[in-house]
Amino acid sequence: MNMPLLSIRNLHVNVADREVLRGIDLELPAGQVHAIMGPNGSGKSSLSHVLAGKPGYAVTAGTVDWQGQDLLSLPPEERARDGLFLGFQYPVEIPGVNNAYLLRAALNAARRARGESELDAFDFLSLVKERMALMKMDEAFLSRGVNEGFSGGEKKRNEILQMLVLQPRLAILDETDSGLDIDALKVVAGGINSLRSPERAILLVTHYQRLLDHVRPDRVHVLARGRIVKSGGPELAHELEQRGYDWLAEEAA
Amino acid sequence: MNAVAKPVPGSMSNAAYEQRLRDAVMDAAPLLNARLLPVGVRSAALNKALAAGLPQLRDDLWRYADLRFLASAALAPVPAQPGALAAAIQPLLPPRLTGYTRLVFGDGRLLETLSDSCPALDAAATPLVPERTRHERFGWLNDAFATGVARLEAAGTLQLEVIFAATHGASRQAVYPRLELNLAAHADVVLVERHVGSTGAQGLVNAAVQLHCGPASRLRHLRWQALGEDAQLLDTVQLALDRDAHCQLTQLQLGARTARTSLRASLYGTGASLTLHGVAIAGGRRTLDQSLLVDHLAPHAQSSQVFRAVARDAARLACRSRVEAGRTARGSLALQSLKGLLAGGGEIDLRPQLEILTDEVRASHGATTGALDENMRFYLAARGLDPDTARALLEWAFLEDALRGLDPPGLRAAAERAVAAALGSDVALQVLA
Repeated sequence: MNMPLLSIRNLHVNVADREVLRGIDLELPAGQVHAIMGPNGSGKSSLSHVLAGKPGYAVTAGTVDWQGQDLLSLPPEERARDGLFLGFQYPVEIPGVNNAYLLRAALNAARRARGESELDAFDFLSLVKERMALMKMDEAFLSRGVNEGFSGGEKKRNEILQMLVLQPRLAILDETDSGLDIDALKVVAGGINSLRSPERAILLVTHYQRLLDHVRPDRVHVLARGRIVKSGGPELAHELEQRGYDWLAEEAA
Repeated sequence: MNAVAKPVPGSMSNAAYEQRLRDAVMDAAPLLNARLLPVGVRSAALNKALAAGLPQLRDDLWRYADLRFLASAALAPVPAQPGALAAAIQPLLPPRLTGYTRLVFGDGRLLETLSDSCPALDAAATPLVPERTRHERFGWLNDAFATGVARLEAAGTLQLEVIFAATHGASRQAVYPRLELNLAAHADVVLVERHVGSTGAQGLVNAAVQLHCGPASRLRHLRWQALGEDAQLLDTVQLALDRDAHCQLTQLQLGARTARTSLRASLYGTGASLTLHGVAIAGGRRTLDQSLLVDHLAPHAQSSQVFRAVARDAARLACRSRVEAGRTARGSLALQSLKGLLAGGGEIDLRPQLEILTDEVRASHGATTGALDENMRFYLAARGLDPDTARALLEWAFLEDALRGLDPPGLRAAAERAVAAALGSDVALQVLA
């Protein structure tokens, strides 16, 4: 097996003195898609946030190795420039900053970090428009404020658009499927699948199995009460769909 | 009530102020041109200034004005220094705005060598002698001590840039910029009023602006205050709108150590409309204070205000904005949105006020002050933007809606660049690229 892109060992995390992650162990090799599933409050979003470096999460024990570096020592912007992407469950609206500017600033920050030259406006626009077509997004979105007045589904598409422009090595997608109708789900899944490649990895955080019908994971992990209580192949997602989470939560208790 | 009036803390007594005013008259007398303003107008103004004295501690309208400098600032105007002045002013002039006639005033006097010819400039026209209240008391000092005036009579279309540049002379004396503009019926004027000053030049700038918009005229006016960081500004603006006149007035408060603007707009003609936008940015220990009054006096008048303030360090920014719709103002529309952003320290005080004395008025007002949104900051960080870039971008986004409607577009672009530069980062400038 390849060296894992991401290796989480015994990760314990507190939020406001409450332990939300209680010893996570997870290896994510390049080329694979893993799904993290679990009931509400199991720690799924906390795990996404800690990996992306959101303030307010205190790591009390454990390590996270990211391409040979200590991920937890890096500020969030450096993680992003190194190729770690968080697709937000609730993308914020930032009126007054337009989408095109943010995309270009984000892309050029990553390119500078890799020692590449910045993309000029023409190349940037042709790249973005190609990716927007894939996401079936109207080009008018580019000149609007970031997520300003977007519907829930539009916001999620915009997250995936950003991911496709940035081409991260690791994409953590936090409940990207929530709030999507079935057509939008297929478009978003198509975007995610187009990122799959031997050098990239994807971590899908989801409550439901339906996204996994369209983006087939290599591994499925079930999170309950801050721990991974079961791991398996894609068939585990179907089992959860049929049996719910309660039997696993009871096992974890 | 017989309470003993207490002066604003750190200020001087009224007796001392009165003495300083009388001394200033002695120094100023040889400099004052009776053709600009008749002697009777000047002495009446001085008497009113003396009677009004200084604002007192209990005067809520002056709570935030920092007037301590008055105890030491010279009040007499800078003496004329023919020849030398133009050379001192030239380096202060900003690049020209394309398509605009330019008038340059140095230390309160028209500099013909630096100005274009402008048929609208008419020093012999009847002065717009303002009626002032005690809230506008420092305007009386300008009436008394103005050494020059941009007195403009506009008919038809006009694009004009008036630059008031201050050096304060060798003895750091006061500068009295004065602008009087009368728009004839149906006139269409774009006016850029810029205040600039030497870096490190400490001194009083006392500006008075008198604007009258005739029936169905349109005034688009950008007031662009970019004085040096040691300047002290007292600024009095009066605006009157006749029937169906429209005025878009945008104020950029970007410079000065301490600045106080008192603005009163009278919408006295049926269907008059005013768009009043403002941006104020300050760091360090600077104080920028505004007191605005929009008076709806006629039916179907409309006013819309957007004010955005960004404070850093120990800066203090205040905006008190009062809208009155009197008994004659049925069918009025009055909107107010005042917002402050504490971007690392500072103090912001925003007070919208609405007084409605008639029916059929649509009005809304709101004021909020807060820090940068942590979720927005994290979102931008998660896209690879460093904290300084994210902060500048969010500050820009916060201010942007005060500039969004600024017309014409060329002027908006210039204003956006000035505001972006005042945020002290090239990030916002990139947004505009």
